[in-house]
Order: sequence, then C-alpha cells, then structure tokens
Amino acid sequence: MSDHALAERPVIYNDDVVKKFVIASIFWAIVAFLVGVYIASELSWPALNLGLPFTNFGRLRPVHTSAAIFAFGGSALLGTSFYVVQRTCRARLWGGEALANFVFWGYQFFIVMAALSYVMGFSQSREYAEPEWHLDIWLTIVWVCYLLIFMGTLMKRQEPHIYVANWFYLAFIVTIAMLHIVNNLALPISMYSAKSYSYFSGVQDALVQWWYGHNAVGFFLTAGFLGMMYYFIPKAAGRPVYSYRLSIVHFWTLIFMYIWAGPHHLHWTSLPDWTQTLGMAFSIMLWMPSWGGMINGLMTLSGAWDKLRTDPGLRFSVTAVGFYGMSTFEGPVMSVREVNALSHYTDWTIGHVHSGALGWVAFITFGALYYLVPALWHKELYSKRLASWHYWIATLGIVFYIVSMWVAGIMEGLMWRAYDKFGFLQYSFVESVVAVHPFMVLRMIGGVMFLIGGLIMAYNLRRTVTSPTIEAPTLDTSMGGLAVAGE
Amino acid sequence: MPTKIEKDSVSGRDTTGHEWDGIKELDTPLPKWWIYTFYSSIAVAFVLFLLYPSIPYGPGYWHGLLGYSPRKAVDAEVAKLQAERKVSMDKIATLSFDQIKADPALLEVALTKGKITFEENCQACHGAGGSGHPGFPALAAGSWLWGGKLTDIQRTVTHGIRSGDPAAHTSAMPPFGELGLLKPEQIQQVADFVWSKFYGHVTEGQDVSAGAALFAQNCAPCHGADGQGNRLVGAPRLNSRIHLYGDAREIIVSQVTKPRMGVMPNWNARLDPATIKCVTLYVHSLGGGE
Amino acid sequence: MESVANVLVGVMVAGFGIVGLFLVAGAADSEMFIFGLGLAVFAVAFNFGLVKRHFDKRDATRGAAREATHV
Repeated sequence: MSDHALAERPVIYNDDVVKKFVIASIFWAIVAFLVGVYIASELSWPALNLGLPFTNFGRLRPVHTSAAIFAFGGSALLGTSFYVVQRTCRARLWGGEALANFVFWGYQFFIVMAALSYVMGFSQSREYAEPEWHLDIWLTIVWVCYLLIFMGTLMKRQEPHIYVANWFYLAFIVTIAMLHIVNNLALPISMYSAKSYSYFSGVQDALVQWWYGHNAVGFFLTAGFLGMMYYFIPKAAGRPVYSYRLSIVHFWTLIFMYIWAGPHHLHWTSLPDWTQTLGMAFSIMLWMPSWGGMINGLMTLSGAWDKLRTDPGLRFSVTAVGFYGMSTFEGPVMSVREVNALSHYTDWTIGHVHSGALGWVAFITFGALYYLVPALWHKELYSKRLASWHYWIATLGIVFYIVSMWVAGIMEGLMWRAYDKFGFLQYSFVESVVAVHPFMVLRMIGGVMFLIGGLIMAYNLRRTVTSPTIEAPTLDTSMGGLAVAGE
Repeated sequence: MPTKIEKDSVSGRDTTGHEWDGIKELDTPLPKWWIYTFYSSIAVAFVLFLLYPSIPYGPGYWHGLLGYSPRKAVDAEVAKLQAERKVSMDKIATLSFDQIKADPALLEVALTKGKITFEENCQACHGAGGSGHPGFPALAAGSWLWGGKLTDIQRTVTHGIRSGDPAAHTSAMPPFGELGLLKPEQIQQVADFVWSKFYGHVTEGQDVSAGAALFAQNCAPCHGADGQGNRLVGAPRLNSRIHLYGDAREIIVSQVTKPRMGVMPNWNARLDPATIKCVTLYVHSLGGGE
Repeated sequence: MESVANVLVGVMVAGFGIVGLFLVAGAADSEMFIFGLGLAVFAVAFNFGLVKRHFDKRDATRGAAREATHV
C-alpha cells in the first residue's frame, strides 16, 4: 500500500493564513451583527438615521450585507477551505506563503475599501454587487490568486481522490469568479473616477443581476458552506460520511439546477413569461438536490447523536443543517409564481434570507470555529458552558427574527392586496408600515440576541487562544464504529 | 482504487475504502424517498413547461397549453376591479358635488375612494389627515393658499401649483433681498413688524413703525394690509397661528430675502377626473373645507 | 522555490502600489483618491511585512540550526 509510505512523509501545513482568516471571520461577524442591529433599529425608529448621509439606511444596509456575506462568511470560507484542502490532500498550500498572505490581506483590503465606498455614497446599486468597478477588478485579482492556490494544492495532493468538501469549495471559487466578472461588466466614466455604467440595460440588466444574486446564494452561501459541512461534521462526529453516492448525485444536480433559478427573483415583472416559468420550475427541481446535503449531514450523525450533548460546536453544525433544510424548502415554495405574488417585496423575503444567513451560514461557521480554534492553537476550548449559552441565545434570536418576519411579511402581503367592499384598495402603504412596526422591534431584539451570542463566542475563543497550550492534541482522528470488512 | 474497505457496525454498510485526514465514506445507496421525490419534482417541472410559457426557440417561445401569461392575468384582474368600481365612479364623474353629497350611499363611496387616494398620493407632503408639514399647507386647519371651496380644491388638485400645467396656479414673490429691492436692515425691520404684529411675538418697547411702512409699501399689495393674504395670487395669510414655513423669525427674513415657493404636481397626469373629485370631497371633509 | 514565488508576489504588489499612486494623482472624485492612496499604503505595508518575515525566518532557522534541527 502506497498509503503508509506517503503517511510517513511529514507535510508542514500553512496554518498561519488559516489563523488569520479565523480571527478576521470572528471580527467581521461582530461587525456584521452590530451593523445589522443598528439598521434594524433604524427601521424601527427612523430618527436613528441621525439625518447624516453616511448613517442613512440606504448606505449602511450594503455595509451590513457585505460584512455578513463577504467579510464574515467569506473569511470563514477562505480560511476553512485552506485548512481543509491541505489536510484532505496532504499537501501544503501551493504558491508559497506570500501568495496566501496576499489573498488574506488583499481580501481584507477589498472589504474595508468596499465598506468605505458605501458610506461615502458610491454604489453600483446592484444587490450584493455594490462595489464599483475599481474594487471589482481588485477582487478579481485576489480571487484568481485564491483559485490558483486552491487548484495548485489539489494538483499536488498526495491522496488518490479529491474529497467531496473540495468539490464544493472548487465549485464555489470557480462559479463566483464567473458570476462576479459577468455581473460587474461596466464602463467607467473615466480611468480616474469611481462612477461607472453597467454594460447591460433594462430587463437584461435585471436578469444578469439576479442570475448573479441568486447564484451568490447558491455558490457562495450554499456550495461553499456545504464544503465546510462535509469536513467538520464527520470530523466532530467521528463518523464516516453517510453516503458517497448521495454526495456525488446531489453535488452535480445542485450545480446544474442552481444556475437556472435566478429568474424567480423577477416574477411579475417585464421579464419574458417563459423565463419566469423556467426560473420557477428549476427552483422546484432544486429542492431535492439541496436536501441531499442535509441528509448527508444529518445521517452522518447516526451512531453519534450522543455527542450533541457534549460537543457544543457539533450542536451548532447540526442545527445549521436543520435550518439549511428548512430554508431550502421555503425557497422553492416562495419561487412559485402565485406564492411569490404574496411574498415578494415583503419582509417574508428578509425572514427567509436570515433563516439561511443566521441559521445555516452563521451556525455552520460557528460549529467550524469551535472546532478550528482549539485545533489550530492546540488548546482546549475555554468554556463549553459559554458555548452552550451562545447556542441557546443565538437560536432564540433566530426564532425571534424569522417568526416576526414571517408575520410581518404575510401581513404586508395581505394588506397590500386587500380590497374593500367597493373594490378600492383597503390599506395605504403607510398603514402597512404602521402595522408591522411591532414586528420590526421584535426582529431587532432577535438581532440583539444573535449579537450577544456572537460576543460570547468571541470572548470564549479569545480565552481559548490565551489559555495554556495542551501537551498533545487530544483530537481523535479515528472514525468510530468501523472494522475492516470480513473481520 | 479502494484500499481498505471496512464495515460500519452502526449501519451495517461498507465504506468506500477512501480516506482523507481520517474521514471515510459509507457506500450507502441513494435513499429511495429522496430519489423518487427528485424524479417527481422533475416531472412537475415538465408539466409546468407543457402548461405554461416556457421553452424559447428561434423567433419565439412555447406559449403553453393553458395560454396563460402573468401580464394577461394582471390585466384581467385590473379590468375586473375596474368594472366593479365603474358603476359608482361613472356616477361620480357626471354628477356635481352637490348631487353627490345629496346621495349618502354615493358619498360614502366617494369618501372611501378619496381617503385611500389621499393616503397614497397626498399624505407624504400634507401629512396624515391633512395636518401639514413645513412648506405644505395644513389642509385640515383650512390654511388654504388658493381657496378652500370644493371647486377651488378640485382645480388645485387637477392642475397643481407651478407644475407646468397650462392651467396651473402660478405666482411669484419677488426676492426682495436678492434683487436689492430692500436693504438687509430694511428686511430686518419688516421681519420685526411681521413677527410682532402678525405672528404675535411682541417685544416690549420695540418700535416697528419703519417696518410697518415698508410692509404697507412692499408686501400689503399681495399679503393684504392686515396680513390676511390673497387667494387670487396664492399669497399666504400671515395673521394666523399657522405659518406655511414655520413659526420662526429667521424664516421671515429668509422668505423676504429669497423666497421658497412650493410646487404641487398636476394630478390630472396621474388620477382620473372622478378620482380627483373623490379626493376633493375627502380633503374638504377633513375640517378645513369652506 | 518558495522564495522565488514570494519575490514574484512582492513585485506584483509593488506594481499595484504604483498603479495606486497614479490613481491618486489623477483622481476625479474622493472615492478614487482614497482607493488609490489605500492601494499604495497597502503595497508598502505588505512588502514591508514580506521582507520582515523573510529575515525573521532566516534568524529563526539560524537559531534552530544551533540547537540541532527541529521543526
């Protein structure tokens, strides 16, 4: 067996860059939650706009979304992908230390510059693609370096096969590059000006934007974090992945179906009818491919469910998979044209996004962080009790958030389409604004709880890093319940 | 190239024999319910393709067996509502205000329509219930610029103020300060006079006679000798407790120096005559109608 | 091998820094000014870190060599 011969060659992993990404991810998590709470408060009490241009909701909102998706989620994805690809390929990161550091610092520079440009009022007005052209080019450069490192590491792997987590990470990297470049095609008014105009116009512009927007959800927030799930859940549970076949089939079907589903963001618009139907139908077909990931995540736990009591990190990961299953069912439902007529433009959409963002993306990342920080720094987790507190406060916060947004959204949808006995609109828009005010406040409270949970985690992980180093890593790398066949 | 196939004691399944950093995989077949639900969803998708507009080709696209189109669906719904409203709206369009008021059932329809129309179109500037905002008259308090009778309101709503509509109300207050018609100290004197005489903020022992003379000469022709205003030229009434731009002396100074003059859209570009009648009746009913 | 790659990255980042200076020089709005300046500062700081790391590592290996090889 070449296995053993290979195992004896020690590989020194580049964990330095992973540590940096882990710290950045925790930092940006707090920023994202804090700005989120602030803008949620602005929606409850508009005076908090302060009458200043740069604290206006319209400028702070992209700061929140970019901080949550690209800064917090992105740092977590880049960091874990570097950790996972090295270990599952038994190879040090390709391209050397400087290139990895360039990806880290270049990405952080992008985030800071993007946030600055938003508060200064520069935006392409494309959701999740707000940065102007010069920042887009910068991100492209950083991203290509990231792709090179990842591909290079895969190429020089010492394992015969590529692990499923790396398929998902690679799909994430490649597709985001494609989406980013196409959606940001624009003509600057000058080399020296930050203002540009989109290459597309009219409904083509809208379709390209939502092809991007939907697949940012699909490949950044789904595929990338599924990669994370496929490494950290089996590791923390100490159990083999439930089904190799399912991972193949749901990977390829997910990749194939997702890319078509964008038009469901443009139901009842000037988008051609046939495009709307295609978007809806592909979203329905996407349901099971999405759930394939959930099944593989949950069923991997069989035989190890008792670990949920002792491992708070694993509890986060498993709850994340639950929320993932819930929001990937809700999504196809909302993509049906008739449901969309009720749900679109209401806070239901916001609730849906956050059951994915808080429940899935943030929780799976928390699970990975509670695993990674002790593993990277060779420490014991400072306090399982605090992690448990984090878990319960954050979960309750999510429940507050999504329930209030469901109620608010459905109320808005019903009020906007209500007619009185004479056939006139029954409610004015402002009446629906007044009606949802209590739910805006409840949502803000949910956000505060999530923020408190995040702060507890940051404190806990900080104390973990500063605690004394343990002699030998106590991580058990063996898989439970396995015996060589035939024995 | 499976290297070491093992048996899992929990599920009874074999592993695939691959291993990465200690992670192994079971060779479990696809769950039956999963694959059949997946097939069903694909079948549903194909049924949708068949029934609805879906597959594009060359010059056109497949329109679907149902002949359905979201645009047509919306049009049909709008047409249905319009037919429902038509009976009463046609009556409102043809009858005079007095005739509408004489018919309680019709008046209820008109006021209902007027209320929602006001809330969707007028409230943003004129405030909830016509309470007004700085620069936007308080309709409920009857601080009319161009008249508060039903026909006056109807005309103002229809054609607007300085809106560009040929029949719009238009007038302009001269920028006394900017054109040098009044010197800065004279503007202060006028402001002192208006502030004490009309706004009621009297300062003991202050002599405002110079301001009074300037007011009589420059302002009274439009705003009236007693500050009662003039609706023919839309000159706001000064001798009341409600002031268009607010109750502050600096506002008087800035208005005389370089006046702000409000614009109201001509709603005939957006609302039909019957709807304008409804909103007129509603505004008139808010408390300020004459 | 790795040191060659590090030098290449350093040269690339230095190039971005110079582009940043051009952007500041010609900036037509505040955003481009800040971005260009940021890019130049980023390049200087990054390459400083690159040089520092190089010498830190050389010092460390020298020290380690004295105590016999150990990773």
